[in-house]
Amino acid sequence: MKASMLFQWNEHRAPMSWLAIGLLALLPMTADGDEHPWDTLQVHGFLSQALVITDDNDFFGTSSENAGSLEYTELGLNASFRPHRKVLVAAQLLSRRAGGETSDATPTLDYGVIDYQMASSQSRTLGVQVGRFKNPFGLYNQTRDVAFTRPSILLPQSIYFDRTRALGLAADGVSVYWEEHTAAGTLRFRSGLGSPQTGSELTRQLFNGAASDVSASEPSAIAQLLFEDPTGQWIAALSTASVHLETSLGGHAADFEFQPWIASLQYNEEQWNLTAEYALRQQSLKGDNVPRAFDITGESWYVQYQRRFTPSWSGLIRFDRLINDTDDRSGQRYEQGGLGPAHSQFADDITLGVQWTPTSMLMLAGEYHAVNGTGWLPKQDNPEARETRQHWNMLLFQLSLRF
Amino acid sequence: MPFNRHLSTLISALLTALMTLALLFNTASAQTSEELPKTIILIAHPSVGTPMIHRDTARAMFAMRQRTWPNGQAAQIFVLPNRDTVHGRFTKEQLGVYPHQLQLAWDRMVFSGMGQAPNRVRSQEEMREQVARTPGALGYLEREYLDESVHVISME
Repeated sequence: MKASMLFQWNEHRAPMSWLAIGLLALLPMTADGDEHPWDTLQVHGFLSQALVITDDNDFFGTSSENAGSLEYTELGLNASFRPHRKVLVAAQLLSRRAGGETSDATPTLDYGVIDYQMASSQSRTLGVQVGRFKNPFGLYNQTRDVAFTRPSILLPQSIYFDRTRALGLAADGVSVYWEEHTAAGTLRFRSGLGSPQTGSELTRQLFNGAASDVSASEPSAIAQLLFEDPTGQWIAALSTASVHLETSLGGHAADFEFQPWIASLQYNEEQWNLTAEYALRQQSLKGDNVPRAFDITGESWYVQYQRRFTPSWSGLIRFDRLINDTDDRSGQRYEQGGLGPAHSQFADDITLGVQWTPTSMLMLAGEYHAVNGTGWLPKQDNPEARETRQHWNMLLFQLSLRF
Repeated sequence: MPFNRHLSTLISALLTALMTLALLFNTASAQTSEELPKTIILIAHPSVGTPMIHRDTARAMFAMRQRTWPNGQAAQIFVLPNRDTVHGRFTKEQLGVYPHQLQLAWDRMVFSGMGQAPNRVRSQEEMREQVARTPGALGYLEREYLDESVHVISME
């Protein structure tokens, strides 16, 4: 199979999962004494509904009006099975709304892969995934829409903000994973090459709807190197990606380049953990006569302390900072250039949160954010940047179920 | 909007109070479980030809990262509920990880297309029955629940 073929698929054509199903038919279903492959079939799902209340500015719907916004909903359903001892087939449908239109909740294929684990021994694991795979990026990206895998209702927005979510979430192509198990711990390397999802969601999120025809003629690349000590007490990771998109702004062809780096570190104790991530994002928009062309480096970091009080109660405190352009940290130059308010170029967020998990299927969470700046505030909820307030507060409640 | 700075201060005070309350609950519940520890052993389906596995391998198999036995046979993992004391003792004493770490690892596998969840059993009797019935099965139980229907695996 030629890799170049794979990148031609996009949302409107045959998804990779169909190819996956086709390949499945070729696999020996009862090899090596695995008598009943369908016995390995598993179905899992999750559902989250949040209430978002803000004093000023809107986040995921009209949260500053009346009793807040209920427009933050996540619903997922997945199935997986092992037709052969070295093969895993898995796919997930995701319906998500975070403000915007009701039609945003239309289910999409979140991932759909055939995973072939060619080597699995005491010292090494080596495998490949073909299809739509989730990008390993930072500590939380792969399952960022699953509340049970998040320490808080909202992930630290400086790194996991919605604007480039579609771009970083998953890709259609090939991904490899390689694990080395040593006495000191496990070293995991994952790398993927594929076409990012460039649907209407991305077009709207990326340049405030000013761009049209966002497409990717070149595959994007992503890589992560992660180290975990034998008991998972220390986790350290370095992730990077390179995305190249073609688009058109005001009728002029433009090239958009996005290259983020994330360094992650987590320390786990039985009753608490400390997590920090630091990211640098290089972004550029270039082209002849393109309005608002830019070439900037953004910086994001957070430090988070999570404490488990009982098996069912936990609390969290976090400081999170986003700087959109490291050459203009206060946003003054941006404002003087008449591009918008200075406070849209940064965001400091202090978060306090609690989670209550009375059963393994149910979680209730609440959290409070004190925010200075609107750097990650979704533009679709706040179309007029000049009307936003620099200092604002947000309160969220969320009910989550999984099976 | 009827939501001002005073209210937000009140909310953060409330959250802090809630955390303190939860901390009190914690110290109260920690005193209840004091039993004599019984030895927990690894068990497998009789068809499993491996007599001994390394602790790192057991950890990778229970974390659902390794899908096969060292000899290549497909593995089926069985676990007790997260808050079962035998499960808690097994993960902490034998694997050196906490039950909530394992649960998070499973969720990350299951919801990212990287792997599957382990099979759940409700009791040690059910653990023994399921492991005895499922080719490639790996589980654990206290020695007193052991019989000839399952195969004992030692851990290096």
